[in-house]
Amino acid sequence: MSRSTFQSGRSGKGDAFVSDREGSLHALAMRHSARALAPLALLAIWHIVGLVGKSYEAARAEIGRPLPAIALIAFIVVVAYHARLGMESIIEDYVHDKSLEATALLINKWLMIAIAAVWTLAIMIIAAPR
Amino acid sequence: MADADPVSESLAAARPLSPHLSIYKPIFTMVMSIAHRITGAALYVGALLLALYLLGLALGPSAFGAVSWIVDSVIGRVFVLLFSWALFHHLLGGVRHAIWDRGLYLDREGRELLAKATFGGGLALTALLWIASSLFG
Repeated sequence: MSRSTFQSGRSGKGDAFVSDREGSLHALAMRHSARALAPLALLAIWHIVGLVGKSYEAARAEIGRPLPAIALIAFIVVVAYHARLGMESIIEDYVHDKSLEATALLINKWLMIAIAAVWTLAIMIIAAPR
Repeated sequence: MADADPVSESLAAARPLSPHLSIYKPIFTMVMSIAHRITGAALYVGALLLALYLLGLALGPSAFGAVSWIVDSVIGRVFVLLFSWALFHHLLGGVRHAIWDRGLYLDREGRELLAKATFGGGLALTALLWIASSLFG
């Protein structure tokens, strides 16, 4: 993250809290991923709620079918992007200590990648033909 | 202010920053805005728990025994219920933002209508999903 040196008519030259020229890309990325997530989330939540009360065999049979498997993988891949950006906003808003903020952003990045990787791999194992 | 004296500096430190949540009277549209962020963060944690459940399901029956509480116990059912509500609430909050992005429903009546629709719609869709799931799932 870079913070640009801003020449203000009121305060003169110096560092000011102005656009770091990433905001509009961030906003667009959230909206584009949200558009993909709207239908994917509806499919995913149907299959997630369908897991309630299911035994090991029944849950595997449910998730192992091609369409639920593809829907849940597509869902988490876009979620990984959308949720990471959303959590970045939250961290940048509330974590004021610079080094703590950097640590939190790093944990956020790798935690979300790990969640998506574990989720995807698990479903691929479940859906793989035996 | 480089030449500020200690007294005015301590006064400045005690002064609340704005915008400051604790000095505002809660307004419905504001609560819905905060709820959008809270449900987003909750879905993040929920995705982590569901990933653990799926991992257990993938590894085998004994691993599944260790994680099946995430979906199948009383706590698990409450979790999945809250997760589905948070998802619908956050989804409708996103639709609300998409409407605002087009410059619509930004006036007082419009934004309060959207806030109510987000809240009511989230509850209604959650109820609908669970009824449909118990009937056809």
